Amino acid sequence: MIRFEGAAKRHPDGTVAVEGLDLEVPAGRTTVLVGPSGCGKTTILRMVNRMVTPTAGRVLLDGADVAGLDAAKLRRGIGYVIQQAGLFPQRRVLDNIATVPYLLGWDRKRARARAAEMLELVGLPPETGRRYPFQLSGGQQQRVGVARALAADPPVLLMDEPFSAVDPVVRAGLQEELLRLQAELHKTVLFVTHDIDEAVRLGDQVVVLRDHGHIAQRADPHTLLTSPADQDVTAFLGPGRGLRGLGLVPATGVELDGLGRADGWELALDAEGRPTGWTGPDGQLQGPAPVFVPARDSLHAALDAAVLSPSGLAVAVDAETGRAVGTVSRAGILGALAAGAAAAGTSTGTSAGTAKVPGGRQP
Amino acid sequence: MNWLDWISAFVNDPAHRSGPDSIVHRVGEHLAFTGEALLWASLLAIPAGLLIGYTGRGAFAVTALAGTARALPTLGLVTLAVLLAKISDLTVLIPLVALAAPSLLVAAAEGVRGTDPQVRDAALGTGLTHRQVLFRVCLPAALPTLLAGLRTATVQVIATATVAAYVGLGGLGRYVIDGLATKNYPTTVGGALLVVLLAVGAQLLFAPLIRYSLPPGARAQRRSLTPKESL
Repeated sequence: MIRFEGAAKRHPDGTVAVEGLDLEVPAGRTTVLVGPSGCGKTTILRMVNRMVTPTAGRVLLDGADVAGLDAAKLRRGIGYVIQQAGLFPQRRVLDNIATVPYLLGWDRKRARARAAEMLELVGLPPETGRRYPFQLSGGQQQRVGVARALAADPPVLLMDEPFSAVDPVVRAGLQEELLRLQAELHKTVLFVTHDIDEAVRLGDQVVVLRDHGHIAQRADPHTLLTSPADQDVTAFLGPGRGLRGLGLVPATGVELDGLGRADGWELALDAEGRPTGWTGPDGQLQGPAPVFVPARDSLHAALDAAVLSPSGLAVAVDAETGRAVGTVSRAGILGALAAGAAAAGTSTGTSAGTAKVPGGRQP
Repeated sequence: MNWLDWISAFVNDPAHRSGPDSIVHRVGEHLAFTGEALLWASLLAIPAGLLIGYTGRGAFAVTALAGTARALPTLGLVTLAVLLAKISDLTVLIPLVALAAPSLLVAAAEGVRGTDPQVRDAALGTGLTHRQVLFRVCLPAALPTLLAGLRTATVQVIATATVAAYVGLGGLGRYVIDGLATKNYPTTVGGALLVVLLAVGAQLLFAPLIRYSLPPGARAQRRSLTPKESL
């Protein structure tokens, strides 16, 4: 666990980056710092691994003041990922990943074996290991950056706008990858971004900052979207909060109807029971039928399917076989939302971000 | 052609074939002065330049010092050195080191300063100590610039080491000065030509070194250039 106690950073010229921050970053969860540029979020992150020394207050890592620890040793125990990856250009990918194991004195063979494992973990093919950083795309470099940060299995991961320099498609892939990794590894992640959608998507806890590192709101993503603390936070969240919130609610709670007909539309199935389209009142087949996977997708994906469907019904399918298991109307989906909101409202703990949907699509 | 005859006269002179005034011996002396001067200049200037480039402190002093040192008249320095240290190898070494050191200092400082700040940040944040960041990250990044500085210094020192003869020491300057003194122009031209050949040879020797010191990505791009461009 990371704890900030009145941590402040005042530059020698008198400008204040962070005025005095009290914050707890719970272990094994993802905390996202989000705010406009210049709000001090990067400074806050860099206080943890002593890349920035607070001018007042302190930062505790598992109860120990980081100021009292050897800087290099401290940093070897904390994964660090930055915006442009910052890979060493003259070293091959495998040796880049093995940086911390080498520093910790592992022998070459063991360090490289570990690096190869990491390469696989972040979803890169083994031959990438022999390449040089300049031979990789931006997204691949960022994956290598994450692999390097994870190589010595540090309990804490600091990520400073790691995905903001890649295009939206690659970014979405990297975010998905991080959610998958985090579900597996349970690191204490402190993540900095200026992108509120990224914050809501990745965070168990989202901390919205305003100038000088003041906390505007600290909440789980669902609470943040549904009840912003004030006008500033509402403005920062931007339009469409309600619909975006649907992306946080899993579609598992949706009550499915049978595979019958609706207003003259009939679901057409192939021999395996997979939906092929909707047959209209005029007998014309319109396909394919928009589908969602209740166990994997969010309410947002389900509603999206229902809106796109000519019959107004979204078809729920099994993730593995692709067979239709039921249908649900737009009203049925929104009904599930009401039930989900009530459930979220009852869990008032600090880490209520249980509605994480790795496959959930968001606008 | 007249100058071809001069060169053949210079090369075929029996005194230039063997003995203390032989071409091989004079070239050896010349290279010895050059090497010794570069060694001392490197030992003095490169560590200082690396440190200045890494810390960013004293960058102003580097510019000022380099400018001043470049304006120093070498002949004046030689004369001063003779007055201070009498005639010895040191007499030549002091001005040559003063000539080579600024290029090396500036190249080392600029090379280190030019390291990608993101890479430096990542290196430090990953847990490298400052010393490790300097030697494992900044030095490799600075190497092409540093070698380019060394190349400039080498060419300058080879050209200027002729001043050794001015105070009665050896090297290729002997031919130039003795030739002028005795109006033996073939000797002067031959000596001058050898200095030029050595300087050009040094240039060529550095080209592949600099190319292989480039980071892998830049090296691949450079490979497509003609040798002339990579000079």
